[in-house]
Amino acid sequence: MSHDNKRRKWKKYRKGILAALPFVTPGLLLVCIFVLYPMLFTFRIAFSDYQIVKREITWIGLDNFINVLTAKNNSFWYAFRNNFLYAFITTPCIIFLGMFFAYLINNLNKGKTIFKIGFYLPVITSWVIVGLVFQYLFNSSNRGLINYVIVDVLHLSKNYIPWLLREWSGNTAIWIMGIWKNTGWAMLIYTAALQGISKDLYEAASLDGATSWQRFIGIVIPMVKPTTYFVLVNMVIGSFNVFIQVMLLTAGKPNGTTSVLQYLLYDKAFKQFKFGEASAIGLMTAITIIIVTVILNRGLKLDTVDKEETV
Amino acid sequence: MSKKITKLLSMFLTMLLILTSLVGCGKKDTSEENATGNNDTSTNNTSTNSTTTNDTTTNDTATNEKEQITLTYWYTYGDGEEAQFKNVVLPMWEKEHPNIKIDPVRQDSSQYHQMIVTAFGTGQTPDVARIDIVNTASYANQGGLVALNNFDGFDTSKAEFLDGPLSTNLYKGSYYGLPLDTNCKAAVVNMNTLASIGLNQVPATLEEFITAAEKSTTPLISVSGVGDWDFYPYFWLFGGTLTDPEFKKASGYLDSQASINAINKLVELNQKKILTIKEVDGTADAWDGIKTGEYAMFFEGPWFFGSYEENLAQGIQAAQIPTYNGRSASVVGGENIVMFTTSKHQDAAYEFLKFMTSEEVQLAMLDVGQLPVLKSLVTNEKVTSNPVWSVYMKQLETASARIPSPNHDEISAVWSNAMTNIFINKADVKSELQSAAAQIDELLAQ
Repeated sequence: MSHDNKRRKWKKYRKGILAALPFVTPGLLLVCIFVLYPMLFTFRIAFSDYQIVKREITWIGLDNFINVLTAKNNSFWYAFRNNFLYAFITTPCIIFLGMFFAYLINNLNKGKTIFKIGFYLPVITSWVIVGLVFQYLFNSSNRGLINYVIVDVLHLSKNYIPWLLREWSGNTAIWIMGIWKNTGWAMLIYTAALQGISKDLYEAASLDGATSWQRFIGIVIPMVKPTTYFVLVNMVIGSFNVFIQVMLLTAGKPNGTTSVLQYLLYDKAFKQFKFGEASAIGLMTAITIIIVTVILNRGLKLDTVDKEETV
Repeated sequence: MSKKITKLLSMFLTMLLILTSLVGCGKKDTSEENATGNNDTSTNNTSTNSTTTNDTTTNDTATNEKEQITLTYWYTYGDGEEAQFKNVVLPMWEKEHPNIKIDPVRQDSSQYHQMIVTAFGTGQTPDVARIDIVNTASYANQGGLVALNNFDGFDTSKAEFLDGPLSTNLYKGSYYGLPLDTNCKAAVVNMNTLASIGLNQVPATLEEFITAAEKSTTPLISVSGVGDWDFYPYFWLFGGTLTDPEFKKASGYLDSQASINAINKLVELNQKKILTIKEVDGTADAWDGIKTGEYAMFFEGPWFFGSYEENLAQGIQAAQIPTYNGRSASVVGGENIVMFTTSKHQDAAYEFLKFMTSEEVQLAMLDVGQLPVLKSLVTNEKVTSNPVWSVYMKQLETASARIPSPNHDEISAVWSNAMTNIFINKADVKSELQSAAAQIDELLAQ
């Protein structure tokens, strides 16, 4: 009986697969060609000496990884550190600002759309254009707007700051650009989440005499927690894909101390023809992202499941 | 029943979609095949070995006579140069070679190297390209360029080129390109600023300039950064050396007492605010600062002088780099013209290379500031009578090449890392130069 049952189940399963196959195949083929194959190829290159023109791939084991990790100028470790710093610094700022602006916009009686568009505009503006604007903002000497304001208008400092030419000021510019560019996205997600909060809660709070700020802390923040997790995971993973800001603003200067993993990868592959080392960096980035995501999921899932079960 | 028909229909349509897309992907350009003819199969297998290249080229010529072929030519000319190339040079070529069409493709200069690397990966490199001299060895090392030694008449035409630019094509005993245009850095001087420190003409020596500059409270010489192209001229000027003359060893040269003294002098000038480095001090850009009169002098290529009359009206002129301890120094720049191994028409491509380096084309491109690479044109009246070109051609006599190596990018990074450590992080000059020399030794040995 159970054997029959199994067979029937298998038949049904097979039928389902056969029915779905024609619809799935085109997508699957494309994924195989453009995602899986390059991914497997990257694995191979990471353990090989790859000569791009001659198409020679010679197995060299872990040499690429060792070269990257033990490079004399610690370029990998600086880039690795900067990716984590970017995640730790920009993510909380984006989450808080996104939530805060969404709450403010949500409370407006008029002009909601204008503000939404205003905050969302940086998201849809080209990275290159934004990069150039930030280059002008953070330009050295009195040619940069920020330097001009700090030194010539507000007289906060006597000397012009070479923003993009020093380790920490360069990193700060990269972070600021990331925050400015992504806050609008978080704001939009939070605006949607705020629609889901019952008005009764606000009314009850108002009756109890809660101020706007108290309502924000007491109602908004706890109620949009699932959205916060979503934004958090997205932003943290996105932090490991930072590239354009670095390329346009600092190019890793000085001495790779403002570089990030993706920029280092680009530099190794497209400037030095070291595709093996670049692939090794790519693999290590992927592994880091997987570990970070697993940790985040573990930590956050427990939290949400508990809440849902107890509510 | 109707369900089955729908299912079958959807399956059929999907298969059709897959098939059509695959057919689309696999379709070959038949027109190109026709154009190249049977000869292609042999040229396709061309390796970097130039002997095989030559065997196939005879057939190629036979094909050339009959059929129309197209050569793709990549370059990064500016607007003026491109217009001159398309309107003056190309018609000259078309008149001489009606059966060989040139497909000119202008690429973005900032990502040109990356573009070529990507093209290497996809096998889509052009037939011919104008590339930066420093990348020649690196592309040759990858096996992407065709050695020209065995092409007909190469040995005789080789002698016509200036030695410096020609040497940048030499890699492991073979020439992988021809010099196309050359340049170097010379001094760009703002005479008004110079007058403000009491100098009424461009000083012949740097010692004279430094003495006068010490009176000024703002920096008078500006350099963009500490990278090789910008900073080598200063390093050489103050007596530093990078490697042995054969570019095989940096230890004993880069970390020699003379090199240490040169860097120490530069540090001193930087601290005294006579020399400012934009990337270190965050000061104004030299192009901008020389026009506003903030700086008295900086070193730049001939492209600074777009319109000499306009510059002259602002008091800005070209001059030889003043000597220090009796010697001047500069760095050689410029472009080579190379042929890629993927080219199916190597003989035609070589014809084009020869054409681009011929006297008439070199003179035509000189009109838009591309300095010639032929010995015969150094004393040409067009060069000697021009106030800018004459200065640069003269300066070339004291200009040196950057280290020619397939690891040029890494060597350049080692140099700028060391300089950044010295100028920004105030690291010890001697130990930084010793460490850099050891790293460059390793890269040169590879």
